[in-house]
Amino acid sequence: MTKKTGQCLCGAVKFEAVPKTDEVGVCHCSMCRRNNAGPFFAIDCGDTLVFEDEADVGVYDSSDWAQRGFCRQCGSSLFWRLKNQPMSAVAVDAFDDLDGLRFTHEVFIDEKPDYYSFAEKTQQMTGQQVFDMVAADQNAH
Amino acid sequence: MAEKSGQCLCGAVKFRATPKTGEMGVCHCAMCQRWAGGVFMAVSCGDQVAIEDETHLGVYVSSEWGDRCFCRICGSTLFWRMRDGTNVAVAAPAFDDMDGLAFAEEIFIDEKPALYAFANDTKKHTGDEMRAQLEAHLKKESAS
Repeated sequence: MTKKTGQCLCGAVKFEAVPKTDEVGVCHCSMCRRNNAGPFFAIDCGDTLVFEDEADVGVYDSSDWAQRGFCRQCGSSLFWRLKNQPMSAVAVDAFDDLDGLRFTHEVFIDEKPDYYSFAEKTQQMTGQQVFDMVAADQNAH
Repeated sequence: MAEKSGQCLCGAVKFRATPKTGEMGVCHCAMCQRWAGGVFMAVSCGDQVAIEDETHLGVYVSSEWGDRCFCRICGSTLFWRMRDGTNVAVAAPAFDDMDGLAFAEEIFIDEKPALYAFANDTKKHTGDEMRAQLEAHLKKESAS
């Protein structure tokens, strides 16, 4: 896809990134939900996420393998990224436009609480299926 | 409702709050979306929110009438609150349990992107309806 610009709510953090595909995913895992006041809408931007100025980018180590990024000034959710691979899932809503993007998959569907569901028909994966896919992908490289 | 406990992802901010009703709402406004990495799921708790220790509580003044609160350590989205102290909308997933709460309402439905929709049967309110409600509230507060 073409490069997109984005920023946090207060504008202290501005960035550019190139989505690998047009596919937006939602993560229902309990960590994402607690961190984002609900499911996390994100898009895989590989290693293309670049900040104009990182001074206000807060980074939290949320597991052995991943980090969560936010704006230190306004608390906006910015990204979830892997530590040992150049992969960032950027918060879709931080982009200045959603042009050309489609909601295609839901991950950690086994951690989705019963109190909400999306109407879209998407590809759904459990947490275990996600871990298996990542492991297979790493073995292939 | 009974009081509930909650916390951010890393545990640096812990709180207790009492939901006004059993209804959880979702806000689709552009500000909430940008702030929360998608929809903001919240429960109105009036002034019944007690934060154990505010050391790591970040507060961003996002409008004349509202503050947005988050954890400065892990970035978790925690509260949207009226600056006059009359209401705190607590992020529902920050609660330790959702017992007794149901997804009942969607607000700023006219700002919801076409990208997604909830399948749940909820009451829906536009941004204009919410702004009218807010104005009525502010008028009442300034008169009292």
